Amino acid sequence: MAKRKAAFYSMTIPALLLFFAFHTFPTLQGIFYSFTNWDGYSDGYDFVGFKNFAALFQDENVLNAYLFTFKYAIVVTILINVISLLIALGLNARIKFRNFFRGVYFLPNVLGVLIVGYIFNYIFANAIPKLGEMLGSETLAINILGSEQWAWIGIVIVAVWQGIAFNTILYLAGLQTIPRDLYEASDIDGAGKWQTFWSITFPMLAAFFTINMVLAMKNSLMVFDQIVALTGGGPGRATQSIAMLIYQGGFQGGEFAYQSANAVIYFIVIVVISVFQLKFLQKREMDA
Amino acid sequence: MKKTISFMLVSLLFVMALAGCGGGTKDTNSEPAASGGGDSKPAGEKVKLEFFQNKPEAKASFDELVKKFNEANPNITITQVNPPDAETVLKTRVAKKDVPDIIGLGATDTYAQLAKSGLFEDLSGNSLKDNIQPAYLNMLNKLTGSETVYGIPFTANASGVIYNKKMFDELGLTIPKTWDELLATAQKVKDAGKTAFYLTVKDSWTTMVPFNSLSTDILGIDFYAERAGGKVKFDSPEFREVAEKQLKLLDYGEKDLYGKGYNDGNTAFAKGESAMYLQGVWAIPEILKANPDAELGVFPFPATNDEARNKVISGVDTLLAISKNTKHPEEAKKFIEFLLQPENVQAFIDEQKAFSAVKGVNQSDAIVQGFNGAFESGAIEDFSDHYIPGAVKADTIIQGFLQKKDIDAYVKQFDKEWDKVAARK
Repeated sequence: MAKRKAAFYSMTIPALLLFFAFHTFPTLQGIFYSFTNWDGYSDGYDFVGFKNFAALFQDENVLNAYLFTFKYAIVVTILINVISLLIALGLNARIKFRNFFRGVYFLPNVLGVLIVGYIFNYIFANAIPKLGEMLGSETLAINILGSEQWAWIGIVIVAVWQGIAFNTILYLAGLQTIPRDLYEASDIDGAGKWQTFWSITFPMLAAFFTINMVLAMKNSLMVFDQIVALTGGGPGRATQSIAMLIYQGGFQGGEFAYQSANAVIYFIVIVVISVFQLKFLQKREMDA
Repeated sequence: MKKTISFMLVSLLFVMALAGCGGGTKDTNSEPAASGGGDSKPAGEKVKLEFFQNKPEAKASFDELVKKFNEANPNITITQVNPPDAETVLKTRVAKKDVPDIIGLGATDTYAQLAKSGLFEDLSGNSLKDNIQPAYLNMLNKLTGSETVYGIPFTANASGVIYNKKMFDELGLTIPKTWDELLATAQKVKDAGKTAFYLTVKDSWTTMVPFNSLSTDILGIDFYAERAGGKVKFDSPEFREVAEKQLKLLDYGEKDLYGKGYNDGNTAFAKGESAMYLQGVWAIPEILKANPDAELGVFPFPATNDEARNKVISGVDTLLAISKNTKHPEEAKKFIEFLLQPENVQAFIDEQKAFSAVKGVNQSDAIVQGFNGAFESGAIEDFSDHYIPGAVKADTIIQGFLQKKDIDAYVKQFDKEWDKVAARK
């Protein structure tokens, strides 16, 4: 028994140490700095108590970033989950070249976010406007990333295009856990496709739905790379997510401590949302 | 079928592994360069120094000089590092106490902040600065607010208007000397069915180029020091004039000016898609790369109707500084000394179309002759945005303003952001 325990410890401790060194420790450091006035490069700093936190609540740039991030995250989460569930259903059906398609749909997940972002940046800036000119469409002929009103849609498209790959795999795995005989039974009872989906497939996928919602939400709340590659937060502050604001203000603006405070608040917000989501959706799993 | 599946899975895994490696190697590559200066090696072994500089346009020119230096000094190896968004990268590296040995930087707010925080070696008593034009040394002192020399000016830039000579000839245009003439010229280009200015609003920093001319010429460079002292406000008739003129320029831009960035602009202007381009001389090498046959010229941006007030905006484009913590200050100084040799400065400015901060080296390129008169008569002034705190994010405010076009909201927002940043200090 002791031997087995030693084996388990030897498996978990290295990971724990790495996690602590590269995740927990920097988090604690960030919390520490949020109570100082450190600019990110000077040798010295003073403690300022809750001054940074007080200033956060008077800064409408922070509010603006929260509004953008949540609008973006909700839209992306819904789109990713709907589309990837549809794709997973298709890939689970008996179609030709099924495994080939499974590979193709997974590919975006392997590509780097920045690379995908820069490719789409080129498409939005050159390919689509050219197409729009050919079709004689005024709306398509401009680069949507340059429009204060529509730039965020461009980021949504890129995030969804790439994000569905991973969620599709999870849904696909979920679909394969549903026993065949349930479908056979519903078939005998004369249920239609639609009824089968709502009464069997979807309830049986509840656990996968939960994890996909939580993951997609969490990822899109922390959106950063796509914005760097596509708009840099512009035009103006139209697509400045919270992570982007923290980075730009903290490093470019030399307000490391102030943006650390922003990050601490945001950390708490994300924890609360994730816990709430898990609680709510798990309850739904039980009911189903 | 089975075989194809396993083949695909294997190749997928392989791609993933490669992707992982790719990220990894990049890191390990930059690590030795980053810590290279930190290793104290026994005598006789090679000294490795990192030279970090912020100009993507100058990467190739510096590479040549670095190569020449490394060949002449077999026991020193300089490595150039030039990441995208270099100023931010530099700040993040400073935050983790990983400062490059030698730093090439513009005289911007970033430099001022880093110098004030005591990051650079004090070069006041060093002979390196003896051959530098005092005007540029003064500019740095004004920026850092101290008499200590932390950086040695290497080159100066100049910004105004770059124009397409061929198109000016075809349309029979002359060089405008006042704001009204500039608008009249732009109108003539527009009437001929062409684009007067190729604007690149998608990259927010490019909106600072005309802003700097307008602000420095109309408000004067001391406006920002007075703003910091609370003596003036952005919400004033003078600053509103700047704002109105910023908007006026948009009337003469290309169709999708909000959707175009700096690289688009360089290429489009090189291909003759506009008569004028509001940029600094640093863009010229990039334009010529896109079209080596482009016939270019420059003139000072006429921000006002009083010719005497229309200055060329010129600042220290690259200054050289040494990290206080470098293990090899002597070798670092040797490299800077090498860069400052007249022949090397000449080679660099010839390629970069920049101006020399070193005495006795002149820019003789035909393209930038349009600025020489101003340099000779001293009608030059620094960039306004060097005196705006980085956290105010002037470029973001301006980019937003050019979309909304609401002058009232714009001047108030400038005041508000400035005060907020000051209150958080």
